[in-house]
Amino acid sequence: MEAAAARKVLTVSQVNTLVAGMLGEYFSDVWIEGEISNFRAYASGHLYFVLKDEGSQLQAVCFRHAAQRLKFELEDGLAVVAHGRLEVYQPTGKYQVILDTIEPRGLGALQKAFEQLKRKLDKEGLFAAERKRPLPVLPRTVGIVTSPSGAAIHDMLRTLRLHKARVNVVLYPAQVQGEGAAKQVAEGVVALSARPDVDVIIVGRGGGSIEDLWPFNEEVVARAISLSRVPVISGVGHETDFTIADFVADVRAATPTAAAQLVAKPWEDSEVRLRDLAGQLLEAAEQVLFQKQQAIEELVRHRVFDLMAARLAELHHRVERLASSAESAARSALKGATASLTALDSRLSRQNPATRILRWRMALQTLADRLDKPTLAFLSRQNVRLGQAGARLDALSPLASLGRGYSICLKPDGSIVSRTGQVEAGDGVRLRVSDGSIDCRVERAGRTDVGGH
Amino acid sequence: MPKTETCTETVDFEKALAELEGVVKQLEAGNLPLEKSLALFERGVRLARACKEKLAEAELKVSQLVKDKQGLFAEEPFKEDKE
Repeated sequence: MEAAAARKVLTVSQVNTLVAGMLGEYFSDVWIEGEISNFRAYASGHLYFVLKDEGSQLQAVCFRHAAQRLKFELEDGLAVVAHGRLEVYQPTGKYQVILDTIEPRGLGALQKAFEQLKRKLDKEGLFAAERKRPLPVLPRTVGIVTSPSGAAIHDMLRTLRLHKARVNVVLYPAQVQGEGAAKQVAEGVVALSARPDVDVIIVGRGGGSIEDLWPFNEEVVARAISLSRVPVISGVGHETDFTIADFVADVRAATPTAAAQLVAKPWEDSEVRLRDLAGQLLEAAEQVLFQKQQAIEELVRHRVFDLMAARLAELHHRVERLASSAESAARSALKGATASLTALDSRLSRQNPATRILRWRMALQTLADRLDKPTLAFLSRQNVRLGQAGARLDALSPLASLGRGYSICLKPDGSIVSRTGQVEAGDGVRLRVSDGSIDCRVERAGRTDVGGH
Repeated sequence: MPKTETCTETVDFEKALAELEGVVKQLEAGNLPLEKSLALFERGVRLARACKEKLAEAELKVSQLVKDKQGLFAEEPFKEDKE
C-alpha cells in the first residue's frame, strides 16, 4: 500500500495536542452563560461542575485561587455568566472550561452573596429576636471597632461628648473597607469582647458604596458579633443601608452617630432626672413645712386660745391687784399667784401648737446645719426652684422665734424632746436658744396634769 | 480597679435614683409626721449627693488598642485628627 507513505498518521497524543492548541488559541478568552449542575467542591479548594443549557453540557472547573475570590457560593441550578478558557484534558481527551470569573446571572455577585449569607445565618437563628440583648443602661466602657481616621469615629466621639457620656472609649483601629477589612473588624469585636471592662461594643463606618460596606456583610464579622460577650450595636453607612452585621447585632443603629447616641443618651437623661428630682425634693420639703404652718395657724385662730388668753390676762390683772395691796399680805399672795400664773403659762405653752411648729423649724435648722455646704451649693445650683425653695426655708427659720424666748430641747442624737417619756433623770439634753445652746442634765421628768381647762 | 465594679456602680446609681424618686413621691404625698418628713428629706439629700458624685466621677476618655511585637494588645491614648 504505497498510499501509506502519503498518509499522515498521528498518534492519539498528537491529535489531542493539536486540538488543545487550537482550542487554546480560539477559546482563550470566552464568556459563557449556563446553569450549574453536578456541583462538587473538593477539599483542595478546586470546584468542579457542569455548565449546561437545554441542549448541551460543558465540563467546568474553577481552581482554588479563583474560587477564593468568589463572593457568593455556587450551587446546582444557579444561572451564571462565567469567563475563562477552554482546555483539553490530555489523559481523557475531553475538553473543559477553566473559569476565572463567575457571576450570578440577573443579580450582582454581591447581592447574591448577601442573600445567601443572610438566608444561611437566619436559618441558624442568628437573627432571632430572643438572641437580642438589652443595652446596659449606663455603660462605663464602650468598645468601638472602626477606622481611626474615618468620619465615623469623629462623629461618635462628638456625639458622646455632646450628651456628656461619662464613658471610657476603647477604640480598636480597623480597616473598614477593602481586602482584609472583614478580618480586622471581626478581630476587633473579639479583642474588645475579651476585655472584662467593656460593657458594650459599637461596630461601624460611614456611608459608602455596597463594595465599601462589604466587610460588614461577611460571615467572619457576623460570627464575631454573634459570639460577643457583651451587646453589640451596629452603625454602618446611612439610614437606608442594611448589612448582615445589622441583622446579627443586638441593636441596629441607622448611622455611627445614632449608635453613639444609644450609649450617650441614658447618661444625659440620668443627669436631667437627677436635677429634676433634687428640685422636687426641696420643693416637697418646703411644701410640707408650709402645710404644717398653715395647720397651726388654723389652730391658733381657734376660739379656745382666745379663752385661754383671756384667762391669762385676768390672772395678770389679779397679780397686779394683789401686788398693789398691803405689803405683807401682798408678798405672800403674790408668791402664790405668780406660781399659779407660771404653771398656767407653761401648760398653755405645752398645749400651744405654735410651740410644735417651733420644734419642727428647729429640726429643719438642725438638719440644714448638718448638711455640708458643697452639697447645698450643688443642690441650689441645680434649679432655680431650689433657690426659691431655699429662700422660703429661710423665711421659716425658727431663729426668730427663739429670739422671743422660746427654746428647743434636743437629745444628743438630734431628735426633739416633745414628751416627758423621751427623757429620764440623768439624761443629757441640749437647749437651743437664740444665740447658741445650753447643755443640761435632766433632774426629773414628769407629766403635768393638763385636764384643768 | 476591680473588674466587676463598672456594672454594680451603674446598678447602684439606678437604684439610688429610683429610691430618690420614691422619697420625693412620699414627701409630695404629704400627711406624714413632720419628723418623718424631715428624715425623708435628709435621706433624699444624701441620695442626690451620692448620685451627683457618680455623675461627676468620669469624663470621656479615649484610648486605642495597639498590637505589640508579641501580638498582644497594649492600650494607648487616642489622638483625634483635628479636621
